[in-house]
Amino acid sequence: MNDGTTSAPTSTHVTEPGHEVVEPSAEDFRRARQLPVEDDWYKRAVFYEVLVRAFADSNRDGFGDLRGLTDKLDYLAWLGVDCLWLPPFYDSPLRDGGYDIRDYRKVLPDFGTVEDFVEFVDQAHARGIRVITDLVMNHTSDQHVWFQESRRDPEGPFGDYYVWSDDDTRYPDARIIFVDTEASNWTYDYVRGQFFWHRFFSHQPDLNFDNPAVCDAMIDALRFWLDLGIDGFRLDAVPYLFERDGTNGENLPETHAFLKRCRKVIEDEYPGRILLAEANQWPADVVEYFGDAEAGGDECHMAFHFPLMPRIFMAVRRESRFPISEILAQTPEIPHNAQWGIFLRNHDELTLEMVTDDERDYMYAEYAKDPRMKANIGIRRRLAPLLDNDRNQLELFTALLLSLPGSPVIYYGDEIGMGDNIWLGDRDGVRSPMQWTPDRNAGFSTCDPGRLNLPIVMDPVYGYQAVNVEAQSNSSASLLHWNRRMIEIRRQHPAFGLGDFHELGGSNSSVLSYVRQTVDADGHQDVVLCVNNMSRFPQPVELDLIAWKDWTLTELTGGVPFPAIGELPYLLTLPGHGFYWFSIQPAQDR
Amino acid sequence: MAGTGGRRGAELDPMDATLDALLPAITTWLPDQRWFAAKDRTIAAVRLVGHQDVTPADAVPAVAHAVIAVSFTDDGPEDRFQLLLGSRPDLPGDLEHAVIGRAGDRVVYDGLADGEISRLLLSLIVSDTTVGSLRFVPEPATEAPIVGPGRPLLSEQSNSSVIYGERAIMKLFRRATPGLNPDLELHRALGRERSGEVAPLLGAIEGELAGDDGPQPMTVAMLQSYAANSADGWSMALTSVRDLLAEGDLRPDEVGGDFAGEAHRLGRTIASVHIELARALGTERLGADGVAAVADWMLERLDRASASAPAVAEQRDAIARVLRGVTAADGLDVQRVHGDLHLGQTLRTPRGWLAIDFEGEPSRPLDDRVRPDSPLRDVAAMLRSFDYAAFHQLAEWETGAEAPAYLQRRAQEWADRNRSAFCDGYAEIAGTDPRDQMAVLRAYELDKAVYEVLYETRNRPNWLAIPLRSMTRLVSAPDGPAGA
Repeated sequence: MNDGTTSAPTSTHVTEPGHEVVEPSAEDFRRARQLPVEDDWYKRAVFYEVLVRAFADSNRDGFGDLRGLTDKLDYLAWLGVDCLWLPPFYDSPLRDGGYDIRDYRKVLPDFGTVEDFVEFVDQAHARGIRVITDLVMNHTSDQHVWFQESRRDPEGPFGDYYVWSDDDTRYPDARIIFVDTEASNWTYDYVRGQFFWHRFFSHQPDLNFDNPAVCDAMIDALRFWLDLGIDGFRLDAVPYLFERDGTNGENLPETHAFLKRCRKVIEDEYPGRILLAEANQWPADVVEYFGDAEAGGDECHMAFHFPLMPRIFMAVRRESRFPISEILAQTPEIPHNAQWGIFLRNHDELTLEMVTDDERDYMYAEYAKDPRMKANIGIRRRLAPLLDNDRNQLELFTALLLSLPGSPVIYYGDEIGMGDNIWLGDRDGVRSPMQWTPDRNAGFSTCDPGRLNLPIVMDPVYGYQAVNVEAQSNSSASLLHWNRRMIEIRRQHPAFGLGDFHELGGSNSSVLSYVRQTVDADGHQDVVLCVNNMSRFPQPVELDLIAWKDWTLTELTGGVPFPAIGELPYLLTLPGHGFYWFSIQPAQDR
Repeated sequence: MAGTGGRRGAELDPMDATLDALLPAITTWLPDQRWFAAKDRTIAAVRLVGHQDVTPADAVPAVAHAVIAVSFTDDGPEDRFQLLLGSRPDLPGDLEHAVIGRAGDRVVYDGLADGEISRLLLSLIVSDTTVGSLRFVPEPATEAPIVGPGRPLLSEQSNSSVIYGERAIMKLFRRATPGLNPDLELHRALGRERSGEVAPLLGAIEGELAGDDGPQPMTVAMLQSYAANSADGWSMALTSVRDLLAEGDLRPDEVGGDFAGEAHRLGRTIASVHIELARALGTERLGADGVAAVADWMLERLDRASASAPAVAEQRDAIARVLRGVTAADGLDVQRVHGDLHLGQTLRTPRGWLAIDFEGEPSRPLDDRVRPDSPLRDVAAMLRSFDYAAFHQLAEWETGAEAPAYLQRRAQEWADRNRSAFCDGYAEIAGTDPRDQMAVLRAYELDKAVYEVLYETRNRPNWLAIPLRSMTRLVSAPDGPAGA
């Protein structure tokens, strides 16, 4: 455990009179209580991504805030999630949803203060809920004092904090990620008279990780928040930290070396905390971010599995398991202490970078019928509208999310089937306020409705009067109650989080079946069989379960025993878009 | 070893006596076997053609390979089948279903049902063993996984297979045919080419078949990698069609279950198989005479079909005109081909498509099956299969009634789209588009359709409408098969 002696000190740089850069220390604040160290908590956890500004507004300014979020922790504890992931809540001009950080050690005033944050983490921990936060290491806002100093004084202590060049021709092989808005990865700065490098928006200059001072500053930023008590970081846009001539600037060895350094800080100073990499790459490249497999993984504990998500959508539309089977077959083994993070939707668009051009056209045609539904290379919709609000499909998708290999990440509002607003700009369409009640502002805020940071969804199907937490809490048949039950069932079976994954195949290509299996320290086996019908039509499937001959199946949502496994293939029939979760147990265990 | 490669000496050895005693039981057991093709004929007699013990006759379990000849009351040609017979003094309960009969103090049963026997066969292959006339041969270059015992695959039709874990599958060829089985031959050739389009060959069991001119080589079984987590192309195509026909008004490219992407990849796979077969076993160019012979062969088949299927007879001359289209080119490049390609002979695995079962049309004599032919024969056969998939659900509509015209139109759209996607994919790899030789392709497709009309007339009258419709379309189309 961290004994508090390793806190990053307050750092002060005086560049010249009137240009003093002071950064606070964790020493200056109270610290949140800690949960016991558990080595594999992140493998068993259900994560919940919550946008502070969209969850609950405590001070009637139309902006969700940390105190509002703290007030809703009882709801999240009731839902059963284990860890909250907060996208950036740092001081920011908010030109990229907070991913443009202006000060790594300050909370966005609209959200509250560092003290509010510590209180939030403390209260979450009191309920057994962990908290990880986004950290953008690759770049800052152009309003960050580091950048202001860097452009003003090339010779000063921050002069080399960013990637500057006299022309805009270097690193031509690096692709442009935000193709909708950016024409080049270089932008001219009239103050310094040079071009600066940016992999994302032109108001987000990339930090220069070749400068050791930048690496140290970033690690001190990590320490600051870890000292205050958070349980880890989601590291945004990690593949792009370094640039090298003749490369596309992604996944470079230097980037991995820096991540190993971050991990070592965690291992030495903050055991039990985690790093989760956001690397929108093919699984074969992403596994590199887990680090050395021999060492059990010495970079990030977790990484998102990006290509899986669009393929879940494709598989159901195609009524074929192969889009999923393919990507899982192409997914390499990961180190034993590593875990995938999987998701159906998040605050970004449904990313289509990791599909082929044909598949992308297809996905656009299927899921983004209006051009406004597209953003960059993806689709900006929430889960329920993507699935035409079809309850069967919502349940099937969630069952897949909760049972495929990896820790599931639920996006706030999807547990009640919230809708989106495609008429809002950029990715705000999926960031509208949480719908708590059928009352004014959906119970999100008591402010004047005109003051709301983003409008509440008001359409007849997904509007807050139809879709809200209060109404669904009162109906045991609601999607919310269903989600809560499924999370609870998942918690009872460690195989979902820790187990091996073995796809069973079967002659029916519309049915995706797999076994998750784990053995605990006492030798107790937990074996879970998941059978999913990708088709809207009822389907039979014959499964080869001979490895569990004479064992029995118990369906997990109702506890109904199914016939024992015999010599012949096990026959199941599934309704359209139906799924089953079974526990497989030796006969004597019944 | 008791056996002598199938020849029966003057002195009856004990195993022969045992087997002879078992023949009545075999006669009763035979018609219930899925692989017994002559279900519509009445068995006159079953006799033992040859056998080879794999283990000593008193082993537990004991295994013997036997070939039987079955003659029929219709005085038609004999059929010959291979058996792998297991025997034990007492039978474990889970083998009851495989019992053939009692012989002396032993129970004899279908050996492939016995995990211990399939384990033994696998280990004999892996260790490169010869037992009398039986040679258990591992493929060079591959290492067979040691994962016995095997488990019988229940869904099979004309042969019998056992699966070892999810690693390997061994197929016992039920028909006893002299000569190297093309399935084994072509898999071996494709293995040399390191083909990624077939399940790699791991080994084989080869034996001898007694004939008038002495023993001839015969393929008993082959061992291949098992394509785990795969599904066959036929059922996947039907899924797609079902999805289309259930939609109100969407076109095939608009529905979720669109199959064109798969059809395109499948076209690429088949083109790769053809390239690999050409590389491994060579190509030749048929001149005018050779092409004429192909046309004659098709016309001969047409006349045979005309005699039995009135629908063919009615259009006989028009069909013949299209079939002669095969001579449109002044020559034809031929090579070894699959010979019996259809969606059911393809497997979708998580890594892509595989072609399986290179035996050729089992009803044709071996000489025909191994004769080099145009790759367009396989392409045409796949195009036919897309037609079948498109209209299969409508054929099942209801007996005697025709599906509504709008459904037929949509099924046709599905067929056109996927035939076209298949040819596009094929052309990408082959470098030439099969549709560039439209007259030849059309002739091959019509030849196949004529055969199908004959087959359905005899066997599945419900399905007759499918090839009939295609036949009429192919005959009347001014410039070739629609959608291809």
